[in-house]
Amino acid sequence: MLAVDALRTQLLLPAGVDASGAADRLAAHVAVVTQRAHRTDRTFWDTFDGRLHAAGLALADTGNRIALIDAATGAERAAGDHVRSLRRLALVDLPEGGLRELLAPVVEMRVMTPIVRVRSRRLPVNILDELGKIVVRLQAEEPTAVAGQDVKVALRSRLNVAGVLGYAAEYNRVLELLAAELDLRPVSQPVHDEAVEAIGGVPGGTSSKLRVALSPEARADVAAVTVLRRLLEIIEVNLPGALADVDSEYLHDMRVAVRRSRALQRELRGVFPPEPLRVFRDGFRELQVLTGPTRDLDVQLLEFADLAATLPSETAPDVAPLRELLELRLAAERAKMAKGLRSERTRALLDNWGDFLDALVASPEDDRPDAARPVAEVAGERIDKVYRQMVKMGSAIGPDTPHEALHDLRKKGKELRYLLEFFAPLYPSEIVKPMVATLKGLQDVLGRFQDREVQADALRALGDEIAALDGGAAALMAMGVLVQHLAAEQEQARAQFDERFERFAAKAQRKLVKQTFG
Amino acid sequence: MTSVVALYNIKGGVGKTSAAVNLAWTAAEEGARVLLWDLDPQGAATYLLRIKPKVRGGGAKLVRGRSDPATLLKGSDHPRLDLLPADFSYRNLDLALDATKRPTEGLGRVLAPIVGDYDYVFLDCSPAISLASESVFLAADTLLVPLIPTPLSLRAYDQLRGFVADEVAKPRPQILAFLSMVDGRKALHRNVAEELGADDSVLRSTIHAASDVERMGSQRRALAQFAPRGRAAQAYGTLWIELRGRVTGWRTTAPPARARGRSRPGPA
Repeated sequence: MLAVDALRTQLLLPAGVDASGAADRLAAHVAVVTQRAHRTDRTFWDTFDGRLHAAGLALADTGNRIALIDAATGAERAAGDHVRSLRRLALVDLPEGGLRELLAPVVEMRVMTPIVRVRSRRLPVNILDELGKIVVRLQAEEPTAVAGQDVKVALRSRLNVAGVLGYAAEYNRVLELLAAELDLRPVSQPVHDEAVEAIGGVPGGTSSKLRVALSPEARADVAAVTVLRRLLEIIEVNLPGALADVDSEYLHDMRVAVRRSRALQRELRGVFPPEPLRVFRDGFRELQVLTGPTRDLDVQLLEFADLAATLPSETAPDVAPLRELLELRLAAERAKMAKGLRSERTRALLDNWGDFLDALVASPEDDRPDAARPVAEVAGERIDKVYRQMVKMGSAIGPDTPHEALHDLRKKGKELRYLLEFFAPLYPSEIVKPMVATLKGLQDVLGRFQDREVQADALRALGDEIAALDGGAAALMAMGVLVQHLAAEQEQARAQFDERFERFAAKAQRKLVKQTFG
Repeated sequence: MTSVVALYNIKGGVGKTSAAVNLAWTAAEEGARVLLWDLDPQGAATYLLRIKPKVRGGGAKLVRGRSDPATLLKGSDHPRLDLLPADFSYRNLDLALDATKRPTEGLGRVLAPIVGDYDYVFLDCSPAISLASESVFLAADTLLVPLIPTPLSLRAYDQLRGFVADEVAKPRPQILAFLSMVDGRKALHRNVAEELGADDSVLRSTIHAASDVERMGSQRRALAQFAPRGRAAQAYGTLWIELRGRVTGWRTTAPPARARGRSRPGPA
């Protein structure tokens, strides 16, 4: 942060005190010059999950200039010309330079969309020293939140106080005067957050995190419904973005929620009546299958640049036909997926699932043996069982074990990971934390082991098609190098397995798991 | 990447300070973050920006690395233009530099920690060739020389080019000039200006002698603040656009001179 950015405060102007009123009160103590009032019209952008908000940043666009600002102080971090009128903003749409560099690690692969528009009337007032030089800049702002043609909500007026580098004493004096004369208080939230709230939104975007609170004594079916309702909500909020292809993460977050729902359907099956559950499990599996190819291609394209970077620089351009082919395939798969997701079948599945969850707790318990048991007990049994299954499966893996055994262990590991994600807060953290840490270490190795194989298989499967294209021979040779590279990485992951598994299945941990969950 | 432009001439009274203040203001107005370092003990640029000509600890502490330059900066009336003010002690800058280990790297050392916060740094230098100006030649990417179109002025310009070519270590700053305080009614000015037409180091934009420029002293403001549509302000605007093109072009091929300042060992 620059030294001058520390000299910034936003204060709330009380009702009845306007900018010129504030300036008049100060004029009795310091030299004040009021400038001409002007208007600004800014659109604020963020990712769907509010990544800028979480990073304390805001991206404000005036139509011809776009600026990244510190949300709390309003200090500008970077800016650039912005001339294109867009409904979506990806990193590549931004001018090259500081703005893009600062935003890249924050938004990553996500695309930004407009979150709110704020029109303001601004009145600048300068405080001068005895030489007539500006030593503090004030700006009274009367903002209005705008949504569409008809919605305009007046927001609270604020006074932005900005010091000048090298004039900290004058800045502090003006703040003291403002407090003494007008009893001004610091604002509690940036203007764009207040605007989002005013038009009925929630600042910070839409999270796809689980965030549910469970109590250990709660009925298992109540706990299951709480988690599954939240997961259904995540599926529903991400569905429109996945269909509109805003960015790859809507589909990703939706698929994670589907997979988590399936894990819970399976692991807590004793809280559901078996027959309707079977139908829903089939439906959710179909949903996963329907969205799989698109996600696989999304991943291949997201990782394409990194993978191509492993090629020698003179070979790297040869893989261009591969990228084009993947993009073509993605478009075709996405169309198929969209048709399926828009179908009545999918709509009915999600609606019926919601209705089913709503009615579950009050439904008869004859065929739901675990329904009324405390969730900590039911989930504990499952955690213990799945952990023991993993220890058994992993112990049987030797140097010559077929790859499938490692893939199956990874699948089981995902099951355990979800159980821990859902129910970890019900158990002592000193037990759960090391368990999660060693599981993560193991899953990381198993994930790399399987992903590299899947990637290599996908490349091999494209071989015939690539060979038939213009420049196909060179692309094919480059792909051969990539497949080799992937095989080497898979080998590396395999070499780390024993050590990671030993930690996960250590005797002390086995004992603790048995004592806690068994 | 920052460009350091030093306004310099062996002779005084050639419109150096007016150019430094107006170019710095114009660059800031355009959106760049700009620092102006007033190295002239007379402090004319500091005066024009209504800032007190005072540097805590004076020039000696600054070049010896005993003052943090970031704490000495003053914001101007333009939010993107900061000033490192003049101090009367700068008249002894040569002595202060001479007492340091590598005297000609002294000014580059002062700039090193703050230069990254700016797109352009302008140095308003005092006239004459001295240890301080040699240090300027090492710290700057570009020497911008205001040139009154008279034979004596041209002679001084040639002397400067000769000195930089012979005495200054590589990478040397590029040297550019522009015609300053031109009086179109004088045949001598017209003739010399014509003679310089073929010299690629002399920028096409010229600054004429103008009452608006003289009024800067009483207004204590940049031209853009009190006569933005006047011919003089427009001329500095044109000069800036031409200079900006030349500065950037040069920087793509030459490493920054100030990099050498960073090799200095840290304080014990």
